[in-house]
Amino acid sequence: MSTSVMGSTTRLPVATAILWAVALAGASLPWLGQVPLSALWQAFSAADSTDYRQILLHYSWAPRFAMAIVIGFGLGLAGATLQQVLGNPLASPSTLGVASGAQLALAVATLYAPSVLAFSADLIALAGGLLAAGLVVALTCKMGFSPVTVILAGLVISFFLGALNAALLLFHGEYLGNLFIWGAGSLVQNDWSQFVDLWPRVVVLGLALVLLIKPLQLLQLGAGSAHALGARVAVVRLLALFLVVLMTASVVSRVGVVAFVGLAAPVLARLLGARTLRQKLFWSTLLGGALLLLADTLAQWATTWTAGSLVPTGAATALIGGPVILLALNGLRNNRHMPGDEPGPAPLVLARRPLPTTLWVMSFMLVAIVTLAIGWSPGLDGWHWTPPTDWAQVWHWRGPRLLAAIAAGVALGLAGTVIQRLTGNVMASPEVLGISGGAGMAMVLLTLFGLHLGRPGQLLAGTAGGMTVLLLLLALSRRHTFAGHPLLLGGVAIYVFMDAGLRLVLAGGGSDAVALLNWMSGSTWLVTNAEALALAAATLLLGALTVTGRRALTLLPLGHSTAAALGLNVARARLRLMVLAAALTAAATMVIGPLSFVGLMAPHLARVLGQQTVGRQLMVAALAGAMLMALADYLARVLLFPNQLPAGLLAALVGGVYFLWGLSRHDKH
Amino acid sequence: MSAFLEVHQLDVAVDTTPILSNLSLGFVEGEVTALLGHNGSGKSTLLKVLARQLQPTRGHVTLQGRGFADTDTRAFARVVGYLPQHPPATDGLTVTELVALGRYPWHGALGRYCQQDHELVAQAITDTGLWAFRHRSVDTLSGGERQRAWLAMLLAQQTQCLLLDEPISALDVGHQVATLRLIHQLAQKRALTVILVLHDVDLAARFCDRLVALRRDASGGQVIADGSPARIMNADTLERIYRVPMGILERAPGLWVSYVH
Repeated sequence: MSTSVMGSTTRLPVATAILWAVALAGASLPWLGQVPLSALWQAFSAADSTDYRQILLHYSWAPRFAMAIVIGFGLGLAGATLQQVLGNPLASPSTLGVASGAQLALAVATLYAPSVLAFSADLIALAGGLLAAGLVVALTCKMGFSPVTVILAGLVISFFLGALNAALLLFHGEYLGNLFIWGAGSLVQNDWSQFVDLWPRVVVLGLALVLLIKPLQLLQLGAGSAHALGARVAVVRLLALFLVVLMTASVVSRVGVVAFVGLAAPVLARLLGARTLRQKLFWSTLLGGALLLLADTLAQWATTWTAGSLVPTGAATALIGGPVILLALNGLRNNRHMPGDEPGPAPLVLARRPLPTTLWVMSFMLVAIVTLAIGWSPGLDGWHWTPPTDWAQVWHWRGPRLLAAIAAGVALGLAGTVIQRLTGNVMASPEVLGISGGAGMAMVLLTLFGLHLGRPGQLLAGTAGGMTVLLLLLALSRRHTFAGHPLLLGGVAIYVFMDAGLRLVLAGGGSDAVALLNWMSGSTWLVTNAEALALAAATLLLGALTVTGRRALTLLPLGHSTAAALGLNVARARLRLMVLAAALTAAATMVIGPLSFVGLMAPHLARVLGQQTVGRQLMVAALAGAMLMALADYLARVLLFPNQLPAGLLAALVGGVYFLWGLSRHDKH
Repeated sequence: MSAFLEVHQLDVAVDTTPILSNLSLGFVEGEVTALLGHNGSGKSTLLKVLARQLQPTRGHVTLQGRGFADTDTRAFARVVGYLPQHPPATDGLTVTELVALGRYPWHGALGRYCQQDHELVAQAITDTGLWAFRHRSVDTLSGGERQRAWLAMLLAQQTQCLLLDEPISALDVGHQVATLRLIHQLAQKRALTVILVLHDVDLAARFCDRLVALRRDASGGQVIADGSPARIMNADTLERIYRVPMGILERAPGLWVSYVH
């Protein structure tokens, strides 16, 4: 043991020093050939206005350099504090929804109230961040801020606000490029004003956080013990949260969302051996600065390489941060019982109801929705009813998208059921686990490399993407036997990764970006008749295959040993079902985007409606998914007529609320 | 009589820690064998190897004279049933549904359940005294009832061999005796080979035909005693197994009471 302790005490400073050296060298390298080292140093104090290079150094390079370090310090400290407050090694300002909240608020202000923005961007970002954090707190305070719940609630709110942001941009395509370059966290500077503005805030907030060290240390013992030792747990948590939100909002209002640094720095510090809270705060602050400087350098280089198409720093941080998170998930196994970590939720004991009644009622409702969607629509001269005899004429406008939405709903309902059974976790779903994200990532990559493969190629790529994510998650969580949150949080990492890729494309602008944004928010109006029919056929085929796997789905939740002892070839059955789930998800994702939560809602609804065995759950979940999506598509078409809303977004609106409701229900048991 | 299940020169190591070393044992058809030993002596590991849940580091295992690798997964599950030490949560399954899963090896993913299957399931539920609970969700049952539900699933599996890892750990004395008696009767009636891990030496001696004791030291687990209850149930042997001074009384032929000094 003594050797490892020795090792960790030297490992941290050495690793940090190396990281700093690399970051500093990388940042100065482009200039070193052109000016002497002393000139770089002088650039921080004053510029020789006769030399163009000196001006560039003083007003662009040096402030950007300083900004990167200060922001890195601030986010590293904020992230480490947040992880302590929530007792969760994957917490960060981005996973709490603070960054997205601030971003959305700024986007709204930019579009609708530019004067307020001119008065103080800080206030707006702070308001947005506080709103998001407040939502999370309000949703979770009844449960005493249980860390897992806070993170999941933060994640959903973050997704949700991001989706809203995307929808907003869809209606204002003309500002798209600028908003997104900013949204992806660009550190480009023109003078020192932003830095002068920012650094006192970071220092003051940092000092305030340092003052909270002692009570924060007690939180490590869990809420109960900390309370017994005289700490006012809720007050300490709230105060620390407020300071973290302030820090994040200050950063976001200046440079946009720089995700991952607040997550990667503390994770890295912990992996390198920081044990006590003091160590964690100190080292993750230092590491945060170096990480962001490094990421910013990479972003600048990438911008040069890609011949001027801007690569925002926020996207580059994701490229560094993604692997770090996956690393952290792997390291999670050693401290499974984290402070304040509750054992898994008690099993839900739900009523059972006869299948035929449920099926009849739901089929009737589906038919009613379809009739309504095809027949009853607003026109320019008010609402009117199209009799069934004329349906052939309106099919072209209303049919394909409805059919595609229904097929996607069915596919997601089936995929969600398979995944919930496969993982034995009722809060799992294609969306939350990042399988949709993986499929989306494949699409983003296709766009990024300018490949146009048509629908079959996209479906294949999407399936491959979804499968990759699923395999990765299964490999990572093998030791946890799929126990709850490692799996869910792994999905978050993958989703954020995809988001970074998406931002890269969007920052590039152009028609690709608009098409991608349309797809991301789940716009069904682009679907053609042939595509809808193909999707329906694919769903039917995959659905039939899924039904044949129902016994394997009953056995697998009983664990590897039991399923194997009963003669199931576990590896093969699992792989087969995973491929099916990924294919179903990819098919649905192509139509309604990666964020609908239908895959979460439909299987859950089936259980609530009393269908507890796998076969019944599959049937009812498919119907429920179809119903939800049909309704979402109809509403998306008529709510803002003649404007169109993305159906996926509408489903996500309902789904996000449902998810949070389910979460709170679960924690009460 | 040839051995039904046999392990030969078995080594099992987890990472670099040896759990079992050079272990050779045969289990005869129709015999009920109890595995005894202190905590960590390798009883559960041996059972997992026999159930094909764990790949041994070295050595081989034969079932009815054939190597393990030659048998298909479902065919194996029709011959050998295994009850893990900690059965998992069942996510809303009712007792009947859980027990019916025992019929999976006989029908696979798509085969239909016939009248006989339903009868076997009902029989297994009756045998374990769970008829009144047959429509209850397994998760809502008490620990002992849940353990019996899993045992019922194993019975419905209709295997020739049962491997049970502490099958009575959560049961009260009455149900412990009833369960062991049931296992004993079934073994006699259907010529079942049963190997079970038990901690209660007295109950093991009362209901099992053979006792095998393992003990683990630095080099790995070894068999330190093997034989009929009459040969094992003496103070010296028990002291060697559990490493505490023990005494023993024989109240009647085949009825021992052990105690700690």
